Amino acid sequence: MHEESDSALIARAKEDPEVFGLLYERYVGNIYNYIYYRTGNHHDAEDLTARTFYRALKHISRYEDRGAPFSAYLYRIAHNVVANWHRDHSRRQIIPFDNLVIMTLERDEPAAAAEVKDEQEVLLQAVRRLPPERQQLLILKFVEQMSNAEIAEVMERTEGAIKSLYHRTLVTLRKELTNEENGREETTGRTSDE
Amino acid sequence: MNEERVAEVLAVHAEGLIGRPEAIQQIHVTDEERGRLAPLFQLAERLHQHMQPVHPSATFARNLGQELVNNAKRQIMLTKRLRRATLIGAAALGSLLSIASVVGAIIFVIVRLRERTHARAIQAPTG
Repeated sequence: MHEESDSALIARAKEDPEVFGLLYERYVGNIYNYIYYRTGNHHDAEDLTARTFYRALKHISRYEDRGAPFSAYLYRIAHNVVANWHRDHSRRQIIPFDNLVIMTLERDEPAAAAEVKDEQEVLLQAVRRLPPERQQLLILKFVEQMSNAEIAEVMERTEGAIKSLYHRTLVTLRKELTNEENGREETTGRTSDE
Repeated sequence: MNEERVAEVLAVHAEGLIGRPEAIQQIHVTDEERGRLAPLFQLAERLHQHMQPVHPSATFARNLGQELVNNAKRQIMLTKRLRRATLIGAAALGSLLSIASVVGAIIFVIVRLRERTHARAIQAPTG
């Protein structure tokens, strides 16, 4: 069946409240994913997802369609909401990723599962230490599985800029992980010497 | 291997990971390039493996959707009321202005008539 375009839905949503519900249903999953990977826990992801959509609803009457996808507008709001959250929680403890389903884990051994989960936590925490736009790029690429062209549209950059940012992000992340591994090895070595 | 080429190779590798293998066939990656970029390829594969989509709970998604629709209803109702109030206010103001202008015109005519009568009274010969 033909799916109504975002522009048409937005125009109707300004008069018909039920239509905003359709826009919400279309994007709630994407925004939730984005916020979840930026905050690292479901509780805050729910709270900030709600704030994002309430803010979008509040400003929908003034929304101007400039050709960019509606999701770009929502991601921008989510980005600001998460930035405020980080500012407010700047002195909070780092919360580990909770209840994350390790979908790729096919083995049943608890030791192997723990190892994979540990590796996952280390990796995702390193991702969360990246600048926000780099985190967004990785989330859109690997979680949302968007093409470079789609990411470029959402992040309002050229496709070339996205490729270059992806390259720099991988290099930075690798350095970060290598430093962390070296640090851990040093600590382990020191402990075993003692 | 220049930076642009590295970015291009990494980009097509990532496209391949997310189910677009045709992208990698569009460019020829040499064995040397593969060797040099192997650590970054592996990192991308780890990211792909560990960054899986998550889903909000059905209850949360349903409740939030309902709350938003109710809120949207209230918002639209308020906007409509505000629009109606503005319209009524403008109409009332318009009516007041027209009444005021009619009253003003009447006062103007009366004043002019009085002035004319007064002038005539002064000009009229006495005795």
